Amino acid sequence: MNLAVDHPWVLLALLMALFPLWNNGVSQSDYPSIDILPQDALSTGISVLIKLLAVAAMTSLILALAGLNRGEQYRERIGYGAHIVLLLDRSKSMDYTYAGKAPDGREESKASAAKRLLSEFIKRRQQDRIGVAGYSTSALFMMPLTENKQAVLAAVSATDLSALAYTNISKGLAMGLSYFQQQREQTGSRIILLVSDGAAVIDPDSEANIRRWVKQLNIRLYWIFMRSENSPGLYEKPEDSRDDNAGAMPERYLHLFFSSLGIPYKAYQAENLDAVQQAINDINKLENRPLHYVEKIPKQDLSTQCYLLATVFIALLWGFKLIEARP
Amino acid sequence: MFRQHLLKNLKDYRFYGLSLALLAMLALFIKPQIIKRQAVYDFTLIVDITRSMNARDYQVNDEAASRLQFVKRVLHDVVLQLPCQSKVGIGLFTERKSTLLFEPIEVCSAYAEIDSVIENIDWRMAWAADSRISKGLLSTLTQLQDRANQVVFFTDGHEAPPVNPRYKTDFSDVKGKLKGVLVGVGGLQNVPIPKYDNRGQQQGFYQPEDVPHRSTFGLPPTSLQPWGAYHARNAPFGGAKVVGNQHLTRLYEPYLQQLAKDIGWAYHRLENSEQLKQALFVPEFARQQKVASDNRIYFAVIALVLLGWVYFPRRRAKP
Repeated sequence: MNLAVDHPWVLLALLMALFPLWNNGVSQSDYPSIDILPQDALSTGISVLIKLLAVAAMTSLILALAGLNRGEQYRERIGYGAHIVLLLDRSKSMDYTYAGKAPDGREESKASAAKRLLSEFIKRRQQDRIGVAGYSTSALFMMPLTENKQAVLAAVSATDLSALAYTNISKGLAMGLSYFQQQREQTGSRIILLVSDGAAVIDPDSEANIRRWVKQLNIRLYWIFMRSENSPGLYEKPEDSRDDNAGAMPERYLHLFFSSLGIPYKAYQAENLDAVQQAINDINKLENRPLHYVEKIPKQDLSTQCYLLATVFIALLWGFKLIEARP
Repeated sequence: MFRQHLLKNLKDYRFYGLSLALLAMLALFIKPQIIKRQAVYDFTLIVDITRSMNARDYQVNDEAASRLQFVKRVLHDVVLQLPCQSKVGIGLFTERKSTLLFEPIEVCSAYAEIDSVIENIDWRMAWAADSRISKGLLSTLTQLQDRANQVVFFTDGHEAPPVNPRYKTDFSDVKGKLKGVLVGVGGLQNVPIPKYDNRGQQQGFYQPEDVPHRSTFGLPPTSLQPWGAYHARNAPFGGAKVVGNQHLTRLYEPYLQQLAKDIGWAYHRLENSEQLKQALFVPEFARQQKVASDNRIYFAVIALVLLGWVYFPRRRAKP
């Protein structure tokens, strides 16, 4: 138990609490001489008691005013959950529906569908720390890893504003990984949940870095690929072998790249919203392994207790005052 | 006898002191808090992250700081000063539109998160390199119409490439829909814009030949006097080589003031956090929120003063 005060300067007033040591607050009467009176232990005791009560009453008031509290504490706990970075595609195509058209009221855009489903997912993952990053031509740091679900929802909710530009997956991945690079030690599994409707070629430089980092950081990767109608899938092989390259089939090659990373990786090729929902449910079930985490117990205000004590002391002093002998 | 004893108490000021102190403590428990009305604010802060924002014409602790660094520092201060229950959202502007990083959230419960996002704002987040400020402002206003309350838009007003005065942005659809402040960032003197390579290393500054110095988009502006080797089809803007100082940047204050007027906003030049706070924390932007405030300290102070009075050490006057 570590006690702390919010306003230390108020403690200066504790000097005032020493007043009763010189004045016990009992009314005094004139006598010619008290030298002949014998020492009375009981009287001395009561006098000291009154002084102590008065000191205690003032001290508790001053401590309450200074904002006495039991400071923030940390407790190690085992729970179920993970550290998840949501890496969201903000390229222009996310503004279209699965059919590749502009949304017309009957069918929502991929961006707003992703937003809706991810928001549900976040609400169900109470124990997790979740961060949000977006990427298009460049990567956006949208929300750090945090327990604050309102903040995460606010970031996800901003992703259905009009989309930005192209798809630069390597910058996005680097941004997602940077969230974990900032962490000092690992507690719980580290997950990157990539939600995109397309892929792009990764340049060799970034490829080497990503390969190194995902291993180092112990990442688990999920890719929800929102496949639009008529676009090539992850598992499709081109009819013409000359088309079998990263430029022509970026999705297939990104999938091959992810599979070759040597980390736990799962791809969901979601052709419609039900499939996206299915993928999210799946992750929800899979990623519930024991997680060692530190729970923060917020500081506890002790002023009410101080006020109660002060009231009791003042009531006692008042009682003594009532029964005080008066000539 | 008992009655007499009590009556004697009434002659003792200490009795009154203690009784009043006890009453104050009882009152403290009966009415521990009062409901106050407090002004709170909802701001969506949009930051220009185009290249010109890297120009270093601010000073922080006697060191040159870029406009973007300075804005981040100011945002940090402003968010810290917002009363609890206020909301803050953050967005970025580049090219010809802005995007939100997160929608407005309550500041006190998410202070660390907001601060971390501010800290991570970087010019490299720009998804494209143009700086079409009036277009960006229009798209921001259109997009945020039903998402935000007050918008604060930080920019230096440097349009790049330069705008063709023939195609002025028409704000009539959004004028007056959203309240806000246009904040001008930068100094009034031209300064060079740092140029970075793709590894983030500075490679000198932008040179005159790096940037277009006038608009050649669409039809030539009506005010333009054709000069040089003018040709209606091949060189409608005139054929002469244009020299200009678009590779340098300054705060385009009159332009921003005009934009602010067009959309019905206030304009503020960013000098320091204190003045910006005065421009933002105004009744026009405030929302009155009922908040419970701790009432107990007043009673506690009364009780303490009474006790101090009762027990104040005093020398007895010699008879």
